[in-house]
Formats: sequence, structure tokens, C-alpha cells
Amino acid sequence: MATRPKTLLERHYALLGLALIAPTVLVFCAVIVYPLISAIYLSLFSIFTPTLEGEWVGLANYRELLTSGDFWSALRVNLIWTIGTLTLQIVAGVGMALILHQNIWFRSLARSLILFPYFVSTVVAVLVWKWLFNDLYGILNHLMMTAGIIDWPIDYLGMMPNALISVILVGAWKYFPFVVIAVLARLQTIPDALYEAARIDGAGPVARFFDVTLPQLRDVLVVIIMLRAIWDFKEFDLIFLLTGGGPVNSTETLPLLVYKEAFALNQMGMASAYAVVMMLIMLVFMILYVRRTRSVDGA
Amino acid sequence: MADVTFSNVQKHFGAFRAVQDLNLDIREGEFVSLLGPSGCGKTTTLRMLAGLEFPTSGEIRIGDRVVNDVAPGKRDIAMVFQSYALYPHMTVGENIAYPLKKRGVEKAERARMLKDTADMLQLTPLLRRKPRELSGGQQQRVALGRALVRDPKVFLLDEPLSNLDAKLRGHMRAELIELHRRLGRTMVYVTHDQLEAMTMSDRIAVMEGGKLQQFAPPQEVYREPSNRFVAGFIGTPGMTIIDGALSGSPGAWRFDAPGISVEARHLGPDAAEGAASMGVRPEALTIGTGDTPATLRLVEQTGHENIVVVSIGDIRMTGRTTPDKVWSPGEEVMISIDPDMPHFFADGPNGKRLNAKPSPRGNEPSHSLSNLSEVSP
Ligand SMILES: Nc1ncnc2c1ncn2[C@@H]1O[C@H](COP(=O)(O)OP(=O)(O)OP(=O)(O)O)[C@@H](O)[C@H]1O
Ligand SMILES: [Mg+2]
Repeated sequence: MATRPKTLLERHYALLGLALIAPTVLVFCAVIVYPLISAIYLSLFSIFTPTLEGEWVGLANYRELLTSGDFWSALRVNLIWTIGTLTLQIVAGVGMALILHQNIWFRSLARSLILFPYFVSTVVAVLVWKWLFNDLYGILNHLMMTAGIIDWPIDYLGMMPNALISVILVGAWKYFPFVVIAVLARLQTIPDALYEAARIDGAGPVARFFDVTLPQLRDVLVVIIMLRAIWDFKEFDLIFLLTGGGPVNSTETLPLLVYKEAFALNQMGMASAYAVVMMLIMLVFMILYVRRTRSVDGA
Repeated sequence: MADVTFSNVQKHFGAFRAVQDLNLDIREGEFVSLLGPSGCGKTTTLRMLAGLEFPTSGEIRIGDRVVNDVAPGKRDIAMVFQSYALYPHMTVGENIAYPLKKRGVEKAERARMLKDTADMLQLTPLLRRKPRELSGGQQQRVALGRALVRDPKVFLLDEPLSNLDAKLRGHMRAELIELHRRLGRTMVYVTHDQLEAMTMSDRIAVMEGGKLQQFAPPQEVYREPSNRFVAGFIGTPGMTIIDGALSGSPGAWRFDAPGISVEARHLGPDAAEGAASMGVRPEALTIGTGDTPATLRLVEQTGHENIVVVSIGDIRMTGRTTPDKVWSPGEEVMISIDPDMPHFFADGPNGKRLNAKPSPRGNEPSHSLSNLSEVSP
């Protein structure tokens, strides 16, 4: 490093930079770093939630967590949910984006309608779906029985594997518009000339999708998958409101387990331990995401 | 034998008529340029031939086959796009071989054809690169390679040189001429650069406002422009077109405009008394001697000659002189117009040519053309 003395202007700019970044750093510390550290700290205690009194137990919470069946079952459900709903989101999202990218006459209307599930609040969405799914008066059962597909009403949310499938489907319905928007934005930047060249080169519609569209979508899909994987993995409200983790604990994912430990079983320390483990798992996604976006930028 | 035929082709975009009543017979192995100002329908015409745009009415044939309903991939054509349209995620080699792959050419054969094409275009060292790692000129050659590799019946090129710098453009122009000579394939070339059209084509189709104005070899387009638009469009510096009137009778016509009165020789049977216009190419104008007084307005020194603008009243005319003449703007000079060289057109912006065929005394074609190519920027 050259030790050239800094000019007044340079020092001025350095101070200004510091002043501008300081609020962000402070807020970041208050809302992210502090809770993070206190969660790690709490996870080392056995705490009774209502009084928040507790005693030091060291790593006992983690030991119990890793040896209990609850954690592994929740992790399994969590992975099935994440992979299932994410796959559906991507397939439906890309498919819908391709359709909306065509010159269909109701395109702009369809484009706004498609965003509806993403914008509607989770509580409202869940209420609507619960009503649709209802085994006594739900429209889904009614229609299927009228059409003669089924003889008896199906219990969509109270039985396995129906409950998990229903949750995955509603999750896909709620979040696929995000994929649609991102993919559609990218589709619009692919030059028409590429498709025309491919047509002249003898590529049919399928070949054009795989040889022109998909390679162009690759980067944006990687980012979408990473982001959605992180978001789906920690999804709480949709599952909690739809099934509450039931029947029994067959749709109980890690976030629901954290909630249960903290507020149903009143084990704040144990809940913190779950939260910390969850965070470590998501850290893996996060590292992948950061590396990936960096290499995309660098390309 | 006609290789590409447009019969009464129309193309409307809504109420807008992009191409009107197009009739064009392109011979096998011919290099044809579609030339015209921006928006005249050149690209639309080419895209209809490629199958990327459908004619509103009329018929397009390639060989003996009507291709109106044939998909672009089945027309036995190849196209080079102005933007090159290389597949960005494929290497140069994959780009060039792509049309072969899509046509089910087997691997060994594909490799051989790729090698031939790459050798011909000197792309062999670049085969493993991605398009974004290439210069504009190299990308252009890859696009050309992708078109050449499968030896189609007709090549379509839409302003393939317009994204290159002037020097490279000159170089690629020569390469394309050489390529056409070697392959002997029919090529349809869209350009708005008349120098490209003049130097490369067997015949030029000059278009304006969606209509074909003239379809003839370059020298004929230059020497016998079929109407006033073509006359004004072709040539650098452009032809001076003077509005005036014809009077007299066959064999003894005169053309009069304010400050100018010349004998109008070589008029054909279409000539009639009344409003008309006269076109004077710079080489038909003599500056410094003559019987018509004019005022010197502007002298542009290009190095090997001077481009001189003179005015007679409101009429401005462009001429050229040798560079050793020293003029200063504002000076009064005498000029004369070679009576054998002017072109005459009927009234109106697209007024028909009135000169008799064959054209008046030669206009020294080689001289005119070489001037054109040297003067163009
Ligand atoms: N898809 C379209 N919809 C409506 N109008 C169009 C369409 N494509 C072309 N046009 C119009 O048709 C006319 C001819 O267009 P074309 O692209 O053939 O011009 P061009 O001769 O190639 O011009 P340039 O030299 O600028 O490329 C233009 O006025 C253009 O605005
Ligand atoms: Mg064009």
C-alpha cells in the first residue's frame, strides 16, 4: 500500500461514506445480529417460556434434538415439502410464462390475473383453500362427485398423504407467480432473431425451447431456485394455517416445530436450538446462492 | 431460369402497405441486391422470402415450388441476420453445425462439413470460442458460416455488413464477392448502402415506399435510371434534379428552367410539352468554362478531386473538378452542361424516364462507377 497522505477531499469522502452507511449497519445489527446471537445464547439454556427463567444446560438441547425422532421427521417433511412445492412452482411458472409470452389476445389481462395468488395474503388464501377443500361442503369434492370421479368425499387435509400433497399444491399455487414474473422478464429480453435463425436452421418448437429458450433462462432459473428454496424451506404461515402440522405431525416442518417448542411446549431453549440448526441448513443454500450469483455476475 | 420469383406480392401490416405489387424474377446463381432508403420494405421482402413473414397476397416461388405455405426450415434457404443472431451459449463450432444437426446429418459427416466451412472462412482457430469472445467481424463470419455450411439453394443476407467499421466492411465486401463467385449460389442481399449494391450485385432492385422502382444491372441503374427517384437515389454525390418544362417537338426539344436553357437531346417517344425535370450528374457539369453564369457556393476537397456546388438562382447543382483548381465561395463562374448527358423525367417525384433507349452517349460507365466507389465514404 502506498502511504501517500490522503487529501482533504479524500478524507471528506471517507467520512461521508461512513456516515451514509452507518444507519444501515446499526439497523442490521439491531434486527439481525442481536437476535442471531441471542438465539445461539438461548439455545444453551433450558428456558420456561412464560417466565423466561432458565438454567445453563450447555449443548444438551442439541444432543436431545439430534437424538429425538421429532427433528428427523420434521426435517424429512421439510425436504419433501420444499422439493415438491419448488418443483411444481418451477414447472408451472415456466410453463405459464411461456404461454403468457405468446401473442394471445387476453395477454395483459392474464398477466395481471396470474399475479393474484402471490399478492393475496396467506391468511385469506388459506381460508379460501380450506373452504374449497372442505370434505362436507367443499366445492372440490362436490364437483368431483358430480362428475362421478369419486364416490365418497375425500378428506384433503385430515389424512395422509392427502394433507402433505394439498399443502404442497397450495404452496405451488401461492408462489408460482413469482417464477412467472421473473421468467417472463427474462423471456422478453431474448432477441426474436434467435428464434428466427433457429427456424431457418430447421429447429421445431421443441428444439427451439431446448436450444434457444432454456439456455437463456438458465441463469435466472438458478437464482429463482435458490431464492425459492430458501423461502420455501422456512415457510411457516401457509402450512401452520392450513394443517397446523397435522394430522398428528405428518405435515410438521422445522419452522412449525420451532413454534411448537417455544409456545406450545414452552421450551424456549429447545426452540432456539431448532432455530439455530435450521439456520445452519439454510446457510448451505445461502452460500450456494451467493457463490452462484457471483459467478453469474463475473461471467 | 428463374430461381426466385415474386408474383404480385403484397404485404400489409394492418392498413400500412409495406410491400406493394412486387414482381421480381431472380435468376439462378444471381447476386441481387435490394436497395432503398430506410423503411422501403427491403427487410420485409427478404423475410417473406425466408418464410418469417407471410405475404398478404401474391405468390413466392423458389425454383418451381410455391413456398407461400412452406416453413422457413424447409425452404432450402439460409439467412444471415443483421444482428448475426448467433446462439450465445453454443461455441462457434456448435453454431455453425447447428443447421446440420437439426437436419439429421450424421456426426462424422457433420464434422467434415464443419471443417470445410471453417477452413474456407478462416474460423478454424476460433471453433471452441463462444460468440461473445469474438470481434464483430469474426461474429459476422460465423453467421456466414452457419449459412454456408449446408449449401442451400438461396442465401439471404440482411445488411450483414452494417455493424462493421468502414475498413472491415470493404474487406468483407470483397470476400462476399469472391464467395459468391466460388459458390455460384443465388444470393439476395439487402442493403441501404448503394456502394455495396453497386459493387457486388449482378442486378439491383431499387425500392421505395414498398414499390419496386427499377430492377437492372448496376451500370444500367446508374446510366438509365428508370425514374426520378432512382436517379436521385443512386450516385454520390447525387444527381442534381432541376424542375422545369419541355418545349418544342420531337427532334427539337428544349428544356427551360429559371436561369437555364438547354437543348434536350435523345428524348424518347414519351416526351411531351409541359412540366418535366432534368437530372444532371456531377460529371455532366463543366465548371469554369461555358455560357451559363453561376455562383460558386461550396467547395469540398476530397483529395483527388473537388466537389463543387454552384447555384443559378434557386437551383443548386453539384459538379466535380480536378483538385488543382482554386475556387473560393461566392465567386462568379461560368458553367456548361454537356447536352448529351442529362436525364429527363416526367413531372412528379417518381416521374418516368423520358430519354430514348438506348441511353445517350455512353456516360462513360467505367469512369462513372469508379468515381462512385472512390467518393463514397
Ligand atoms: N411487424 C411490423 N408491423 C408493422 N409495420 C411493420 C412491421 N415490420 C415492418 N413494418 C413497416 O414496414 C415498413 C418496411 O419495413 P422494412 O423493415 O421492410 O424496411 P427496410 O427497407 O428494411 O428499412 P431499413 O433499411 O430501415 O431496415 C416500415 O415502414 C416498417 O415500419
Ligand atoms: Mg431492414
